[in-house]
Amino acid sequence: MEKKPEWLKVRYNQDAVNEVAALMRDLKLNTVCKEANCPNLGECYQKHTSTFMILGSVCTRNCRFCNVTTGHPLPPDPEEPMNVARAAKKLNLRHVVLTCSTRDDLPDGGAEQFAKCVRAIREVCPGTTVETLISDMKGDHAALDTVIAAHPEVLNHNVETVKELQAAVRPQARYERSLGVLRYCKEKDPTLLTKTGFMVGLGETEEQIGRLMDDILETGCDILTIGQYLQPSPQHYPLARYATPEDFARWKELALSKGFRHVASAPLARSSYKAWEALEDVHDLY
Amino acid sequence: MEKKINMPKLAPEMESGVLCAWLKEEGDTIAAGEPLFEIETNKVVNQVEATVSGVLKKQLAEEGDTVCVDTAVAVVEAE
Repeated sequence: MEKKPEWLKVRYNQDAVNEVAALMRDLKLNTVCKEANCPNLGECYQKHTSTFMILGSVCTRNCRFCNVTTGHPLPPDPEEPMNVARAAKKLNLRHVVLTCSTRDDLPDGGAEQFAKCVRAIREVCPGTTVETLISDMKGDHAALDTVIAAHPEVLNHNVETVKELQAAVRPQARYERSLGVLRYCKEKDPTLLTKTGFMVGLGETEEQIGRLMDDILETGCDILTIGQYLQPSPQHYPLARYATPEDFARWKELALSKGFRHVASAPLARSSYKAWEALEDVHDLY
Repeated sequence: MEKKINMPKLAPEMESGVLCAWLKEEGDTIAAGEPLFEIETNKVVNQVEATVSGVLKKQLAEEGDTVCVDTAVAVVEAE
């Protein structure tokens, strides 16, 4: 294992983690924090925040960067929407991020479950904002319409990496399809804030990163996150390098200069890490 | 009162962890929330915080040791 740089040190408090983990267990909920083995779990759970992973913890795709288990998932849990809302209330979340395993087995890709969760949160936690971090739902417009109709404040879908590495890193996804998801959602409802993210450290070049930003921006996307790829295990896609905090600062400036309205760019930035900060930064412009 | 601090389970599949550095010496006073030792995982280095205040009475593992999850790595004489 390559030696970790100083900026990849995180704090971990077992008692704080246990408290949030117990709540999720009691309500039969999953978090992407746990399933993806997120490095920020200790910090986020200590601050009583987390990102709900709806539609089960088993994914139908096998992306080579991701720690989520691949297999045959169970049908959607009808109690999940209300349990998510209950957990959000218990944690007193002001901004809820919902993500999912990719459910290619479901005709709507899980869109209706997203919509039900958004509506349940609206009912139980009035005033709380919601961000849906969706899969590409195979680019199906009817599925995307279902999510859009629930009107989350933020519609997030990650492109994950530069165009040139898509096939190697996320073989069951498509670059143009992901850009199409962002473009369609923005065109369908221009009041929706759209957001995406990508990783660095997979072997991409500076020129490829610049072109990726241009392609994303062309979809009308508002918010961008850039974070370090961290290899979950030796069996996952190999790490090419650790980018420095200075690299991330440079990419942030570049993205802002190109026209993104908010950019979170740091080694441990993740698409839902401190997601409310991005919303607060840009939401009052609407 | 003595309290043991265990190797945490940092990931669902984690069975053991390598204690890569102690951040406090035996005899040091520690406050709850202060980082006590470091564990390196595939992704990052985790600085594990003390969950009680007191005096670090005994280090039960050396730097570089692989320790099973939920096994004690430190004894703290709690305040």
